[in-house]
Amino acid sequence: MALFPVISNFQYDFVLQLVPVDTDNTMDEVAAAAAHHSVGRRVAAQPGKIVRVRRQGGADFFPRAMRLGETDIKPMETLEFIFCEA
Amino acid sequence: MPMLERADWYDIARDTNWTPKYVSQEALFPDVMTGAQGVPMAQWQSYDEPYKTSYPEYVRVQREKDAGAYSVKAALERSNIFASADPGWHSILKAHYGSLAVGEYAAMSGEARMVRFGQAPGMRNMATFGMLDENRHAQLQLYYPHDLVSKDRQFDWAQKAYHTNEWAAIAVRHTLDDLFMARSATETAIMLTFAFETGFTNMQFLGLAADAAETGDYTFASLVSSIQTDESRHAQIGGPALEVLIANGRKAEAQKLVDVAIARTWRLFAILTGPSMDYYTPIEHRKQSFKEFMQEWIVGQFERSLIELGLDLPWYWDKMIAEFEFQHHAYHLGLWFWRKTLWWNPAAAVTPECRAWLEEKYPGWNDTFGKCWDVITDNLLAGREDLTHPETLPVLCNMSQIPICAIPGNGWNVKDYPLDYEGRTYHFNSEIDRWVFEQDPVRYRDHMSLVDRFLAGEIQPPTLAGALAYMGLSPAEMGDDAHKYAWADAFRPDPLAKSAA
Ligand SMILES: [Fe+2]
Ligand SMILES: [Fe+2]
Repeated sequence: MALFPVISNFQYDFVLQLVPVDTDNTMDEVAAAAAHHSVGRRVAAQPGKIVRVRRQGGADFFPRAMRLGETDIKPMETLEFIFCEA
Repeated sequence: MPMLERADWYDIARDTNWTPKYVSQEALFPDVMTGAQGVPMAQWQSYDEPYKTSYPEYVRVQREKDAGAYSVKAALERSNIFASADPGWHSILKAHYGSLAVGEYAAMSGEARMVRFGQAPGMRNMATFGMLDENRHAQLQLYYPHDLVSKDRQFDWAQKAYHTNEWAAIAVRHTLDDLFMARSATETAIMLTFAFETGFTNMQFLGLAADAAETGDYTFASLVSSIQTDESRHAQIGGPALEVLIANGRKAEAQKLVDVAIARTWRLFAILTGPSMDYYTPIEHRKQSFKEFMQEWIVGQFERSLIELGLDLPWYWDKMIAEFEFQHHAYHLGLWFWRKTLWWNPAAAVTPECRAWLEEKYPGWNDTFGKCWDVITDNLLAGREDLTHPETLPVLCNMSQIPICAIPGNGWNVKDYPLDYEGRTYHFNSEIDRWVFEQDPVRYRDHMSLVDRFLAGEIQPPTLAGALAYMGLSPAEMGDDAHKYAWADAFRPDPLAKSAA
């Protein structure tokens, strides 16, 4: 368990934001932490959809249950948060 | 006794070159301070300043200018113009004074470097007047807002901003340090006077003076025109320096200085002038959009002066022009959303009428930036102002020190432009900012952005509140919506619902 800052590039938002998460967090939890700073503030909620995480420019999403500590994501790496069908 | 015409004695009188006997030429004029790029002093003799004036002429004209500006101020002291102006106009004044007044003082030091280390007598002579000009600009722009502090203490930031770690103040300082505080005489001539002043501030001051007159703020209009007449004179120091460098085979070096300086200057303009023109200026007073202004003055006029000097357009010219469409809209949204971190009150300026104007000037605005403002507007209508404030920091560009941002909504193109250098990852707003860093990484590598400082534990407590305290903003100074959210009422479907909300 360790504090881990990442950069959120949230789909449809206009700015990169600092999001503190934890190495124990799953990708779904990381997505929820990022959404807290974008959805309902400047990005409209999309009921029924889920938010998936990928590296900036990456083609594949990280598995939803994968923990941040199990990935090779580096602190302050820019991650893209994308609305997907559930 | 008949007096000689100035043209008959000027060249001899200002030619103060001599042959040093006690120290070497190199010790007297080290290349690191002159920035002559190895072009020998003799070659600089061809430097021909386009604007020639003598000291008595200068003093006489400046005295008249000062008397004019101060008498307008005194005459209008008891008028109601300030109180009756739109709060958006007050925001333009606060942003302007805080970001520039002390910078003018710094520019005096930049001019002084040209006075001492300029290789051409003409440059040293013009810079002597430039130095006195900048002193005048600093004094005027500290004195005028001082009178307004009793009405509104955010005006205190004319004095205060540069002495704080407020993020916009850091962005301005970082840029001006790069353009002229940490540069040689020749670099200052090119980056400060040619790129920053001819390219941008001269136009900016012309535009501001017109806007002030339109708004009825004749005090500010006369102040700004008074400054602009100095600016248009000493901005001419750089052109002949570029000619000397180009004539002596240093075009590539000169081009790089120009390209770096324009890239840096453009960011400051986009964040200060962009929102002022397209948002803070009340819609009935807007004559041109920011994009139209940039197209006319920067693309139309400045592009021509680059070509005439024999320079090329910067490699990123088309990318920069593409940014005229969106970058300042993104900066505006960021300024407004993080408004508590500012020393002025940004005017949202997104009523239905304003949005129609934005859509007309920037087709697609509603589908992009409008999408974010839709959510913000809905939150205000629902009584959820809390959701219109941030709970974290934006990531700042390691070059501009401004949040990394671009187009939201259906044109979403936000992107980080990272760079790994000596074990540290830097983040940039665009390829242009990253390119500037790559031109001289040693120069820029050690600077910590506000976010870097936050992560390094320099900001305590490590919360948004801790960051606000670190930035020096007292609760009475923090920015808020300029019109206290009154603009959102225009979206209420039923006027009767206003009181219910
Ligand atoms: Fe000035
Ligand atoms: Fe100046």
